[in-house]
Amino acid sequence: MLSNISKKVFTKSLWVYHCNSGACNGCDIEILNVLTPYYDVERFGIKLVASPRHADVMLISGGVTRPTLPIVKKAYDAMPNPKLVFGIGSCATGGGCWFDCYNVTGGAEKAVPVNYFVPGCPPRPEAIIYAVALALGLVDKNVAPVDVKQMELPIDMYERNKAWEERNAIYELLKD
Amino acid sequence: MPNIDEVKKRLTDKFKGDITNIDQPVNNRLFVDIKKDKVKEISNEVIAMGGRYLVSVGYDRLAEEGVLGLIHTFSLDKDSIMMALRTSTPENEPIESITPDIPNAGWSEREYMDLLGMKFKNHPKPKRLIVADDWPADVYPLRKDVPWNLMPPPAENVAYELDKCPEGCTVVPVGPYHPTLHEPAHFSVFVDGETIKGADYRGFMTHRGIEKLCQTQLTYNEIPFVAERICGICGSVHATSYSQAVEQAAGLKISRRAEYIRTIMLEIERVHSHLLWLGIAGHLIGFDTVFMQSWRVREPIMWLGERLTGNRKTYGMIVVGGVRRDITPELKEDILNVINKIEEELLVVKNAVIGDTAIHKRTKGVGRITKEETIKWSLVGPVARARGVDIDARRDNPYAAYDEMKFDVPVFDDCDVWATVLVRIIETFEAIKIIRQCLDKMPNDGPVLTEYLDPLAPGKHGLTCVEAPRGEVVHYLITGKENSPERWRVRAPTYPNLQGVPLMLLNDQFADLPIIIGSIDPCFSCTDRVDVINIKSGEVQKMNRHELEEMSRKYKK
Repeated sequence: MLSNISKKVFTKSLWVYHCNSGACNGCDIEILNVLTPYYDVERFGIKLVASPRHADVMLISGGVTRPTLPIVKKAYDAMPNPKLVFGIGSCATGGGCWFDCYNVTGGAEKAVPVNYFVPGCPPRPEAIIYAVALALGLVDKNVAPVDVKQMELPIDMYERNKAWEERNAIYELLKD
Repeated sequence: MPNIDEVKKRLTDKFKGDITNIDQPVNNRLFVDIKKDKVKEISNEVIAMGGRYLVSVGYDRLAEEGVLGLIHTFSLDKDSIMMALRTSTPENEPIESITPDIPNAGWSEREYMDLLGMKFKNHPKPKRLIVADDWPADVYPLRKDVPWNLMPPPAENVAYELDKCPEGCTVVPVGPYHPTLHEPAHFSVFVDGETIKGADYRGFMTHRGIEKLCQTQLTYNEIPFVAERICGICGSVHATSYSQAVEQAAGLKISRRAEYIRTIMLEIERVHSHLLWLGIAGHLIGFDTVFMQSWRVREPIMWLGERLTGNRKTYGMIVVGGVRRDITPELKEDILNVINKIEEELLVVKNAVIGDTAIHKRTKGVGRITKEETIKWSLVGPVARARGVDIDARRDNPYAAYDEMKFDVPVFDDCDVWATVLVRIIETFEAIKIIRQCLDKMPNDGPVLTEYLDPLAPGKHGLTCVEAPRGEVVHYLITGKENSPERWRVRAPTYPNLQGVPLMLLNDQFADLPIIIGSIDPCFSCTDRVDVINIKSGEVQKMNRHELEEMSRKYKK
């Protein structure tokens, strides 16, 4: 739904503001990498800008640390509406491996409302481009559908073990 | 040239009663226990012997012995010796600061004021450095009784008090989010017209508490992967340095093949990092073609990293006891092809950069500091080598397979940003040379991962250094109980270099600020963890927004 709205709202080129809220540089160099000749996001009209006041999209990389929390909020407020926020990397997605350390407040959603998350440590440049294209409605979401099945209780351990043994029996046959 | 016995003799002769114990676990490491009132004298003596200050390590022994430990580490580069002066102090007794004589110790000592509650006598700038502005003053996160996930409630209306602006100068705030610096750090630059007359720094905004996390929550085998995430650009360096420190403390000898593979990974990282820096430097001086071209040249090495290790960056290759994956003959061929192509393309970029007068004009004579100042401030890496200081941890304190490698260490006497550009370009070619030698000579002498099954004895110390692309990384490790370190201290190269930035900025044009800060290849995530040079003393006139608006209206008319 959000990408349908984005399609109507962001009809022109996207200007992107990159905000490091306590990342290790790994995500930052991959964000810069999408500008360089092999990936070249400028062909989609996407451009990195220096000031949040010029930007449509904010890319947050890294878990939000205690000193940067108020500054990230300020940068978000400085962006004109409508705006999109991406959390880039595992740390921005949930705080990463230091989500509960004394100087880290958590993932990017602890500071500002985040529209899209791009997990990965660091995420590949392709993933970042795909995320932005997805948000703009340039591509369709291309993931396997998730089926949530109600688990039947109690689980029949015997049946499961038997099924496992039968599966292994095939390998035993293949050996001969 | 003094060898290790002469160093020991000279120290014991001069400070007989003040040295309680000298420990020499391996050939070129010296751990000296000293009394705390002589810290300053003995440190100065080590500096007089040709020592270079590395870092200080503070640790908490309050529960066991009722003291806070403090270790100053030094490197005697010419003699390939690394030494540590260990001392301790009760909780409330101050210890003599070594900062007045060794300015680079300033940050380390401020760090332990923040994190351990240590007190220092005669520290020139006892201000908050690491923890957030709203962190309560009596909670010291590195103490053992403070849990790693303590979250004091945020406070309002607290701000770091920056240094006063000298009279006749104007403050220009740069950052925390600034177009040229992609990481958060605040510089308060004092300018007189267009000329920079001083700067103050408030950084450590990406301090994540990694040391505390690893000391309390993780075990020896898990830490290399977290160590890689200290820095996304030079991750393998930290993993290697940490692994070497554990191996040194345990007395573990790893196979030669693993050491060769570590060397290859470190050099691949150096090629990628230097090309990255060259691009960023071009971007900072407004020459985006250099940025695009050098990142284009660099991209195949990212793909190579993925084929070698499974990830483009943050390889997860180096673990305690060796490396995780072997390099097969097919991969060897692959590495050779990639580095040959990079060398060929880099030669074109190099010729274009070296012959470009626009780059000369922006970088020559910019960010000058003398060789003596560089030595005094203990700067490291390409920043020091561009100022005529001939240090390189790969040659001076060889680790991994560097003792068998033949390579040149480029040193220039230009003392400016241009020389750092040259040093980094030449080092990239040297790195390619080292990778070729490694692939040529790589022995096949056993598994790439050596197992160590005995429990590690607590209380052992390890001190290692690795030459990262930005300079020298130093790791200090004290083994502890329950399969995890008691103290693990990381010093990234930006930590000393950033302290020298105000000196480089002095009397330069404000427009050159990005490239001067960029020239040290700052990596705030590693460091996070500039001080000031006041040229004239004076009162600053505090103005609120309203007064400023009034004034601007007045001057407009």
